[in-house]
Amino acid sequence: MTYAMQDAWGWSIAIYLFLGGLGAAVMGVVVITDMFRISKREHPTLVVWGALSSIVFLAAGSGMLFIHLLDHLAVINVLNPLVLFKKPDAWIGWGTQFIIWMMVWGFFYACPYLNKAKGTRDMPVIGKSDECNPLCKMMKLCLKYHRAIGWLTVVNAVGTVAYTGLLLQSFPAVALWHNPGLPMLFMVSAFSTALAYILLLQYLAIKEPDQDLRKLFERIDLGLVGLEIALVFFFVNYMLSGSESGLQSVNFLWNSWGWLLGFIVMGLIVPLLLEIGAVSGKLSGHAPVVMAAVLVLVGGFLLRHYTLVAGVYEYPW
Amino acid sequence: MAWIFPRLTRRSFLKLGAAASAAASPLLTSAPVKAALFEFAHPKREQMKAEVHQTICNFCSSLCNVNVKTLGEGETKRIVKLDGNVESTLNRGRMCARGQSGLYQTYDTDRLKTPLIRVEGSKRGEMKFRAASWDEAWKYIADKKKQANIQPWEWTSVGGWTSCVFYMNWAVPFAVSNQIPNLIASPMQHCVTTGHLGTDVVTGNFNIHDEILPDYENARYIMFVANNGSLGAVSTCRAIRFAEGRKKGAKVVALDPRLSETSAKADEWVSIRPGTDLDFMLAMLREMMTEGYYDLDFVRTHTNLPFLLYRDDKQQWQLLKDANGQPYTWDETSNAAVAMKAFANSNTMDASGKHILPAMQVAAGTQVDGKPVQTVFQAQLAEIGDFTPERAAKVTGIEADRIRRIAKEFGTTRPSLIDPGWMGARYNNIQMLRRVQAMIQTLVGGIDTEGGWIMSSEYRHKATKMLERMAKNEQATAPLVQTAGLPFAQLVVGVISKGENFTHGKPGWAWAWAEQQRAEGKPAVALPVMADTGFKETVEGKLSFKGEKYLARALFVNAANPVHHYFPDSHWKDILTNPAMELVIVSDVLPSDTTAYADVILPNSTYLERDEPAMYGNGVNHDLGLTTRYRAIDPLYDTWETPDIMLKLSEIISGTGDGFIGAMEALTGTPAAKVKSELAKLKAANVPSPFSAACRKVNMEMAAEEVGMTPDQLDGELRRRGVYLIESKDDLLAKHSMPRHQPVPTGSGRLEFFSSFFDSLRGMGMTAPNFNVLAGYVPNTIRSDKKPDEPLADNEFYFTYGKSPTVSHGSTNANNPILAGINRFKKDIYTGIWIHPERAKKLGIASGDLIEMENMVSGQKARGKAHVTNMIQHETVFMYSSFGTENPALTRAAGFGTSINKLIPYQVDPVVAGFRSQEFTLRIKKVEGEGVQA
Amino acid sequence: MTHYAMVVDLNTCTGCNACMAACAVENQTPVWADKWRTRVHDQEKGNDSANVARTFFPRLCNHCDIPACMTVCPTGATYKMDNGIVRIDDALCMGCQACVLACPYDVRYAVEYEDIHIAKSFYDEDVMKRHRPGVDKCDFCHDRVALGLKPACAATCTADARIFGDLDDPEDRVTKIVRSGKATPLMAHLGTRPNVYYIAEHREEG
Repeated sequence: MTYAMQDAWGWSIAIYLFLGGLGAAVMGVVVITDMFRISKREHPTLVVWGALSSIVFLAAGSGMLFIHLLDHLAVINVLNPLVLFKKPDAWIGWGTQFIIWMMVWGFFYACPYLNKAKGTRDMPVIGKSDECNPLCKMMKLCLKYHRAIGWLTVVNAVGTVAYTGLLLQSFPAVALWHNPGLPMLFMVSAFSTALAYILLLQYLAIKEPDQDLRKLFERIDLGLVGLEIALVFFFVNYMLSGSESGLQSVNFLWNSWGWLLGFIVMGLIVPLLLEIGAVSGKLSGHAPVVMAAVLVLVGGFLLRHYTLVAGVYEYPW
Repeated sequence: MAWIFPRLTRRSFLKLGAAASAAASPLLTSAPVKAALFEFAHPKREQMKAEVHQTICNFCSSLCNVNVKTLGEGETKRIVKLDGNVESTLNRGRMCARGQSGLYQTYDTDRLKTPLIRVEGSKRGEMKFRAASWDEAWKYIADKKKQANIQPWEWTSVGGWTSCVFYMNWAVPFAVSNQIPNLIASPMQHCVTTGHLGTDVVTGNFNIHDEILPDYENARYIMFVANNGSLGAVSTCRAIRFAEGRKKGAKVVALDPRLSETSAKADEWVSIRPGTDLDFMLAMLREMMTEGYYDLDFVRTHTNLPFLLYRDDKQQWQLLKDANGQPYTWDETSNAAVAMKAFANSNTMDASGKHILPAMQVAAGTQVDGKPVQTVFQAQLAEIGDFTPERAAKVTGIEADRIRRIAKEFGTTRPSLIDPGWMGARYNNIQMLRRVQAMIQTLVGGIDTEGGWIMSSEYRHKATKMLERMAKNEQATAPLVQTAGLPFAQLVVGVISKGENFTHGKPGWAWAWAEQQRAEGKPAVALPVMADTGFKETVEGKLSFKGEKYLARALFVNAANPVHHYFPDSHWKDILTNPAMELVIVSDVLPSDTTAYADVILPNSTYLERDEPAMYGNGVNHDLGLTTRYRAIDPLYDTWETPDIMLKLSEIISGTGDGFIGAMEALTGTPAAKVKSELAKLKAANVPSPFSAACRKVNMEMAAEEVGMTPDQLDGELRRRGVYLIESKDDLLAKHSMPRHQPVPTGSGRLEFFSSFFDSLRGMGMTAPNFNVLAGYVPNTIRSDKKPDEPLADNEFYFTYGKSPTVSHGSTNANNPILAGINRFKKDIYTGIWIHPERAKKLGIASGDLIEMENMVSGQKARGKAHVTNMIQHETVFMYSSFGTENPALTRAAGFGTSINKLIPYQVDPVVAGFRSQEFTLRIKKVEGEGVQA
Repeated sequence: MTHYAMVVDLNTCTGCNACMAACAVENQTPVWADKWRTRVHDQEKGNDSANVARTFFPRLCNHCDIPACMTVCPTGATYKMDNGIVRIDDALCMGCQACVLACPYDVRYAVEYEDIHIAKSFYDEDVMKRHRPGVDKCDFCHDRVALGLKPACAATCTADARIFGDLDDPEDRVTKIVRSGKATPLMAHLGTRPNVYYIAEHREEG
């Protein structure tokens, strides 16, 4: 028996998975928040900054994947959406299309808000667009189909989030990956990191009077972090028996400081406590929430990283 | 808890990082990346002309038949793949890793591409050369010869195994015609004259390369003793037959201190103490003889076991012979001693043709001609009477019952087979070990028969012809190619050992040295056949012959690498760097360690770039066939063929090449006039290496005539099939099996327990047990002062080495890029020093630790990485002998692994100067300190 | 129909590495970077001198009927031929290496730009079989097989330990061995339906 860990996918793919999940979830959250008029109003600033961040994250993440490719020209073969007719079973194909279309639709969804959102409304051209500006025509067109575009964005965003987990799930030899819990875990983590990022935006960049929304996001994130802790616990239980692959993965993770201290303690438990404190009002001020959000983001990356690293193959030779 | 398997470490992180940045920043600027990005596949390959050429592999003496696939034409023609020739019944379409990788020897970027002359002012060994033309190289040699006034006997010619197998018909006439009595042949002291001679004194075989291909596939019980080389490392014709045998269910037993590749395939690995195989085998022989585990009919009929012996005045065993020199046996029918023919394959008739039934034993007190007699059987049994399994158990570390059981299984399972063994020079007693193995094989009747040892048909064919000639009392017309077996060995010894065969009256320095040693009452080697014993002393001016100083001042090394092959490395480095050595010429295809010590390097073509000058037998094949090499591509570089190099050297040494060509005719029957006229034609046509081409043409004609074809027919057949089959194994065995259908080339024509070969050496006054006329005990002297079963010190180990499956002993093949890749993949196993965990633990040694080994006899030291493993007998360390190349011109091999000749001192046996290369123990310690990890 | 498969007999493999060399030359693999389409592991089994064994374990692509590598391939570069051979089309492969992670048998490796660059001089540009980087693995020497030859490894195996054949031919040696149950595939529980079968080493007690 030989145990081995893969070295084909390293930190760059971990970043891809992290930024992909984070970016897509941010997009999903801001678009839904706006579409459903949470707090009974539009959220142009949140949408614009959320969507733009999301696009940047996904571009950066996809760039990581692109750089990692062996034959960069052949990437054309996966950018062509028709490939899905030929290879409907491969998640990278779906993921690539989800990412592309989420970015496209997300941009169109945010587009009409560009002259309303804080930060962009004061910009030249964008903020001061009048009737004859082609940008304005596009804004109008987007606004006309805003809800449809919103749904297209959300579907592709959720698809992207799910894809990051499904991708690893499709590798059958590794117990840590090949289970339905992994997409769940990645999804929960993606939305948790997304809310953390949005809270950071709200507290540090946007600074609009949206305390109600912040409170809501803090509560949801608290729930998600709690759920994530539960899922990690389920994972450990699952892997402790049934396969050597799983057992070796747990063994590895539980001997890694980055996982234990970095992800479990600093990425989950500390933010959980900070958020409990903030939500219950025991901790006041921005600092606890901001700190929790930063830790959640770091934890989110560590989760992707350690999940990639700790996949153990058991070979019968 | 320690994390035991590799994780995504910092190293792979860095690697990934580097790869990513390399791809990102200079994406469109770096030339290779640009080329890779924008250059698409072109279908050139598909349009290229494909051809298959026939050749013979050149990486061991198994001589597999090979198909060479090329693409393209003319200058751009490229060899793309080698495959075993499926038409060949020898290797049956298969080839080992070395054979498969062979084309990358030809395409090795480190090859010798032009003649090289050592840079003025540099020292031998510094590998400082300047490129030269052939004319310059020849002029350098001629000038040096003249200036130093080098005499013919001062030359020494060193040949590797290919010199023997492919160019013996040139090498020997070259030496004889140029009055050079000094030949060193590299596999002799390591293998052929030690181990093989042990086998051969029983069977009468002796061949320049292999003579026995065991019929593993029909055997039901197979034993290997002190031998991994022939099977596991890898002789393809043996490996494929062994696999068949194993698939059919043969039981396999292997005696080896190491779990070798061969032992790994055995049902029973007998982890024996190094150097004690003879103890085991003597016990087995005794057990088989006392318990009757032998084929009575066979040994009675075809061996000299029923011959009668008596003790002479000196208490020496002598054959009882009649006035005509015919040996006696005891006929059970007439109950009387009867004389039989002196040379015959069987004992069924007395000298007058009357049927007899020879007795294996005679009653105590039996007298013939007034002498108390015993049969050879009785004398042999008495000789080893003390060697009980219990005694062997003490020495070998193997339980007596196990030895008994194996003896019984082997002796009662038919057909059973004990592999004769390769690489037979490790201990003083290895020759006797191989001899006893041959006797054991003889006891079960397994000689030249299905499931036993089957002779190479090329060799048997030669023997058959020779025996027919002998029966008609005819002389050989081409002795070198018409003499088979021990008579061939005796022929060679006869030529080089006697000064009267040369105009200058000097024998080879090895023989003169032995004579001088004997005269001074010092130990001497009886038959230093093509050995290096005395060479160093001769170079150093310590040899005199008939009152005159006998010097060795010029050296021609052809396809041999003594600096890496011979023991120790310093011995040959001393010879080569001695100021008295005026001229060193080395011919090779790659810059071996020895080339670094040359004055002139003559580049040779590789086997894929040349037509050979002769037709050859089909190696060790059971079927009789003819084969040769066809060049697949033109030589890539400015290289010459060996015969042409020898012709040119002859012109320099003797002033003309005529003597050389004349000697070829006298010794090999190649008509000189014809060769000369072809040579003139080809020279005029500016054909490269014209002498080789001329010989090829004449030899093709001769071979065609022999098989009743036109040269074109034979040539066409060989080009198509690679091998022309003349007669099958079954037909050959039915007609010519030795000794069932014809005598074996021993002194008596029978398989010999009482050795006529060693009988004939008794006149030389050799008293060492190695010269016993019967099988007997020969001590190993690993620890001269101690018995084998006395415990070793905590840090003391026996030393063993062996051949790896990818690279022969110290071969330049370590530089082959494909094989180098495999070796790196298996680096821990292939270059590690195997050491047992219990012993390693006591010394604080773990796998990967740097350790120092010190020879406890000679003080030689070497370092290597420990490979801690249960696959080694606990008192022993092992290392592969393939690595440790020093010459940096071999860019992939240099510095990879440790060479065994850093540890092995100069120790030789008294019979043929066989290397006692494992007769010492090592002191081992861990190397502590900084920088050790690197 | 044809359904190519291989049986590996661990009882006869002597670890001679001929298959590795033959494959490397035939398929021009980046041996300089320790990248091979097939490997033979040289392994020590057992914990003490009395029970130690040495096993040579050849491995290669298993040409699964349900290849996980093919499932995850986004471009369709990895595909299954009608004869059962799983191949990679290097014109389509962009080298995302998802297949490397998906394969349970560790038989896929990355051919990088640098490898292609080195190969041009090492294997000679004119006769190079691949000119683009991407993922590579054993393809049962599909081009040899198309010509009626055996894969390079099986053709040269000095121990007849690699037996190549057609499972759809009831008379084929491989079919007979597989039907007898003497040979079993690796990690069958993963549901990949591999087509490389192994005859286990026969070892007696004690």
